[in-house]
Amino acid sequence: MRRTWTLTLIVSGLALMAISYFGLAAPWGADSVANSNPRMPFAPLVFVVGVMLLFGSAIVYELYGRAPRGGGEE
Amino acid sequence: MTRYAMVIDLDRCQGCRACVEACKVENNTPQGSLWMHVFRLEEGTYPSTTMSFLPRPCQHCDNAPCVKVCPVGARYKREDGLVLTDFDRCIGCRYCELACPYGVNVFNWSDPAEHQYLDWDDPDLPDEVRGSVPPWHNPDHDVVHGDEQRRTSGGGHAKGVVEKCTFCVQRLERGELPACATTCPVNAIIFGDTDDPGDSVNAEIARGDAFDLLPEAGTKPRVHYVGGKHPTRSAREIERVEVEV
Amino acid sequence: MATTQPIHHRELAPQEMLGRSRIWTLVMGLAVIGLVLGIVSYARELTGGMVVTGMRDVGIGGGATWGLYVAFLIYMMGVSFAGITIAAMIRLLKLEQLRPVGRIAEILSVVAVVLGGLAIIVDLGQPLRGLVNLFRYARPQSPFFGTFTLVLAGYGFASLVYLYLGSRRDAAVLAERPGRLQWLHRFVASGYSDTPEERERHDRASFWLAVGIVPLLVVASSTLGFVFGLQIGRPGWFSALQAPAFVTLAGVSGVGLVIVLAALVRHAEHRSDVLTPAVFAWLGKLMLGLLFVYVYFMAVELVTATYAGSEADADITAALLTGTYAPIFWTSVAFLVVPLGLLVYAALAKRWSIGMLTAVSVLVNLGALGKRYLIVVPSQTHGTLLPYGEGSYTPALVEYGVVLGLVALGVLMIGAFMKALPVIELQREEEVGQDA
Repeated sequence: MRRTWTLTLIVSGLALMAISYFGLAAPWGADSVANSNPRMPFAPLVFVVGVMLLFGSAIVYELYGRAPRGGGEE
Repeated sequence: MTRYAMVIDLDRCQGCRACVEACKVENNTPQGSLWMHVFRLEEGTYPSTTMSFLPRPCQHCDNAPCVKVCPVGARYKREDGLVLTDFDRCIGCRYCELACPYGVNVFNWSDPAEHQYLDWDDPDLPDEVRGSVPPWHNPDHDVVHGDEQRRTSGGGHAKGVVEKCTFCVQRLERGELPACATTCPVNAIIFGDTDDPGDSVNAEIARGDAFDLLPEAGTKPRVHYVGGKHPTRSAREIERVEVEV
Repeated sequence: MATTQPIHHRELAPQEMLGRSRIWTLVMGLAVIGLVLGIVSYARELTGGMVVTGMRDVGIGGGATWGLYVAFLIYMMGVSFAGITIAAMIRLLKLEQLRPVGRIAEILSVVAVVLGGLAIIVDLGQPLRGLVNLFRYARPQSPFFGTFTLVLAGYGFASLVYLYLGSRRDAAVLAERPGRLQWLHRFVASGYSDTPEERERHDRASFWLAVGIVPLLVVASSTLGFVFGLQIGRPGWFSALQAPAFVTLAGVSGVGLVIVLAALVRHAEHRSDVLTPAVFAWLGKLMLGLLFVYVYFMAVELVTATYAGSEADADITAALLTGTYAPIFWTSVAFLVVPLGLLVYAALAKRWSIGMLTAVSVLVNLGALGKRYLIVVPSQTHGTLLPYGEGSYTPALVEYGVVLGLVALGVLMIGAFMKALPVIELQREEEVGQDA
């Protein structure tokens, strides 16, 4: 399960990055009004979340399924 | 489809700076903020010197570097050729100012409300100016413009944003010419629609001596010049303009 | 399934205990003063507008619109890249000799990214709007997109993850003893139990994290170079060398700061047992390589500009070599070339003194800061393509105050970290056994 979750996070992180960069954020081009607006508002936030998921997978990989220790756990 | 362009006849320009004034009055730019600038240049060494004037509005480039670099899309290019700035979205990073090869951008370093020429909120003001117009507070600058419905006209809206020449977008919407073109006493500024074959601006652009400023920058400006020559690197400004904010 | 059992560790040596040294208190006290100065300065800028700085519009404003803040910001971004490079080299190239400075480098990375991000905010005319609008509207075509998403949010987060995961073991060791910070140690430890399988998992995760961070680092550092290098309207900026030069100078200044920090820790915390001259020698060699490449880039740029630069390039170069910027230029060059000579000598003579390396690192960082300033400012005052005439820029006191505040904040962050967790990774018992 650990590996599954880690891989899921990596893949979804990369997917979010690709989708938001190529599909949701403002398209490249300096010749129309449409190029100045993202196709979905807060698309850059989606991109950032994707990057965080990608690197956050390392936390999941290490922390998954650890036994609760008395008195302290995140 | 309308595609605006401007032609400036350097042979006619005699450096009166009426265009600079008209722009300022029409667009309510604060002190220290000049959107239109007219260079007074000298080339050559005495006794073979030549002097010329070079009005320089925003060039509204078709391949505008300022549009490319704006991180939030506040600076954008319209299909009718205008390059405008949404002053509600601008975050004041000044990247457009640095990307522009022509130096047309102006940043509001201080609160423009404190640097107007008149106190618009003063109740005695109408009496003091005795109803004369200008100067006036142009109400066009508080509303949105264009199909994109963004607030883009006028200057001095907020501190910390970048503003520049808009080809008087608020006047174009009413079918008028930009303030500089209307005011020029010798008709050195010709403005029109390049998609309209009958428009006089096309004849001017087609003149044999037409040139663009800084063509090697690849910006494809929509302001063209006739009746003169491109300034060389050895040109120097007489009457150097350096604004104080 | 990991069972709950105490970590198999030995008693911490006195120098490994978290304590407070006099130097630490003094430095923290000064940093607090610096931070207050910085806050006061920034408040002045917020209320009065950016007119209180020395920056002015290019062109008819006769000034530079990006000044000390942007120079500091690119310097800090540069430093942050190098920090994690060292950590990645330990993992990917298996350079165990550098392990003692791994955590120092990671802390430096995280702190430098935070300072770089804050430096952007203080330079914005509308900072609050900037925070919202960047997340809402940022355009990929703008080089700032990469700076904002990959450097700040991406690289900053990745460095933090790397630091956190790498600190868990030491936090678990410390969590077993009562103390004021036991809650923090338990939190960071997050249930770490020092079984072989968990250690192996950590090594694997760190390895792949490093594999992921290195390309991120190269791309992010390059976008920072692209902010300048793609602007055809700014002679002096427009160059294909900007991106590679950025990455290289980043490495130089970052490794240099790691050396300085390591030397401070070695002295203040009495850690000459692990921070051996061999460790410093390794860092010195790394810096030598990077500095050599950077000085080479500098020479290439200078030769190109003087041999065949455009007229605008020639104006900027003249201002650098013999004009207004000559003092800063030649001082920065000296602060980079002389250290290069010293490092070459040290490499040939195989004598790496920690004192010399620390001095070299300080010089190199001052030189890097100067070079960053010279990248940002002269192209604006002396590089206008239309005949506007020369401009001038002098940073105002407010700008120095804000930058001082940011540096002070960085010092406070590093100092706080040093007292929360061991700044040098606690050696594993097997390793201690081998050393004995």
